[in-house]
This record gives sequence, structure tokens and C-alpha cells, in this order.
Amino acid sequence: MTCAEFQAALPFIIDSGGTAEHRAHLESCPVCRDLVADLKYIAEVAKLLVPMEDPPERVWESIQRGLEQEELPARPPGSKGRLLGFSR
Amino acid sequence: MQRLCYLGASIKVKALTQTKKILATRVSEAEAIERAKQGDAESFEVVYGLHKRRVYSLCLRMTGNTAEAEDLTQEAFLQLYRKIATFRGESAFSTWLHRLAVNVVLMHLRKKGLPEVSLEETMEPQQEDAPRKDIGARDNVLAGSIDRVNLERAIESLPPGYRIIFVLHDIEGYEHNEIAEMMGCSIGNSKSQLHKARMKLRDLLKVTRGERAARRGQGDRETTR
Repeated sequence: MTCAEFQAALPFIIDSGGTAEHRAHLESCPVCRDLVADLKYIAEVAKLLVPMEDPPERVWESIQRGLEQEELPARPPGSKGRLLGFSR
Repeated sequence: MQRLCYLGASIKVKALTQTKKILATRVSEAEAIERAKQGDAESFEVVYGLHKRRVYSLCLRMTGNTAEAEDLTQEAFLQLYRKIATFRGESAFSTWLHRLAVNVVLMHLRKKGLPEVSLEETMEPQQEDAPRKDIGARDNVLAGSIDRVNLERAIESLPPGYRIIFVLHDIEGYEHNEIAEMMGCSIGNSKSQLHKARMKLRDLLKVTRGERAARRGQGDRETTR
């Protein structure tokens, strides 16, 4: 198997490991091994990214305005909510 | 890598503490959801407080644009208010809300020109944006060299088609079959786009690393003068 063949199949085998032929190529080829290591490393680091930012206060203010302005569907019977009752 | 893990963990702890504070001082999330379903405004605000960061970050990462992310966060929570009564608890609330937010973003991107089906043809980046092929060339591996800031920047500079799939799969943890369903494309297409996104990120991160090394080299030369 050539590097070109291995890399063409890579999007579909990177998680499963592919066939014995794919695995044999990976074992013998440092270029493809580095490539796979890098792609897995990027995926691994991406998993550690956490939500970082709160939205600015104006987003909540816009939501409040939106809720107040729009005609919302009727609330279920026994509803105790007030659309204009937001505390901020 | 150790530093990155530590940073990730400390941010998670901070987010958890904020959530705990809200829960301790007011009501539990489950209670807030139940009350919001009945139209209780204050409880809806609690739900917003608990989930705003995750929804906003998703919108920001998927669009790469602050103004759009703000508008889409607003739209997602307005939709949540309209639909919260239909939440039956078959999945976790955060999963349900998250899917709702993803759909809001995708709908917006479609209106802007994201195709319903053929990602391959119309979302394919221009030639200069495409990741380079790696056949036969050995380069230094990235291992241990990526930090969060550089990765976030690189993701932001990805072409939109690549960025969306990468964010959904590698950051948000959706499976290819779920992405294919949401995006209206094949599973193979999703895998192919993800691969191209990672390849492009690899190129971008290597350039960043090269620039950092060059700056360090220049600094060393200036110090020894």
C-alpha cells in the first residue's frame, strides 16, 4: 500500500484503524504515522476546549424585549408566569 | 499538554462553581425547568443563567462572529421559551437545548447560503484554503505544542464548511450520523469534511508554531548582541 492510498482512506479509517493492510502500512511508514498522530492529537486537544465566554448582558436584555414584544403561544392552564416579570 | 489539562480542569471547576451558586441560592435546574415550562419568568432566567455560556460558545465557534453569535443566542433562547413546554425529559435538558441551538445556527447558515445537501460542491473551500496533501513529506509532529488559544484561533480561521463539522464533531461530541442528519449530507461526507478540517488545522498550527520559533530565535539573537 502506498502513502497516497493510505491517506485517501484515512478519513474513513482513522477511528476504526482500518484493515490489516492499513495497519501494516502505518507501522512501516513514519510519514503516515506522524500524520495520524497529529490528527488524533488535534482531536484530543479539541475535546478539552470548554465554553469560555458568557454572552454580554445585552443578549439577555434583547431576549427579555423579544419575549415581551412577541405574541407567545398560550400558556398551559394553571400557568403562573408573567412575561413582564423578569427581574433584571 | 499538562498545562492545558490543568487549564481545562480549572475552567470546568469555575463553571461548576457558578452553576452550584445559582442552584444553592435559588432552585434546582429540574425545578427551574418545570417552572419555566409553566411560564415562570424567573425560572426561565435561571435556565438562561445555567446554559447561556455553553449556547453562546457554540454559536461563537460555529459562526466565528461575535454579532452573529449574540443574535443566535438570543434566537435560541426565544425558541427555547416557545418550545420548553414540549421538553419531556427523554434526553438530558442540556442535550435537548444544545440540539435546538445547533439547529438555530444551521438554519441561519443555510439562509446565508449553506447548502442543504451538497456540502462537497458548495462548501468546498477555495484552492488556497484547502489543506495541503502530506504524501511523502515528513515534518515535525505537533505533539505537546498546541495550546488552547492557538487552537481557538486556528478554528476561527477555518473555512465555514470545515469549521462547522469540526466544532460539531470534535468539540461538541456529535457522531457522524447525527451530523449527517442535521446537515442533510452523507456520513461519508461528514467524515471527509472533518478530515479536511483537521488537516487544515494541522497546517495552520504548524505555521503558528514556526512563527513562534522564529520570534524566539530573533529574541535570542537580540539578547546575545
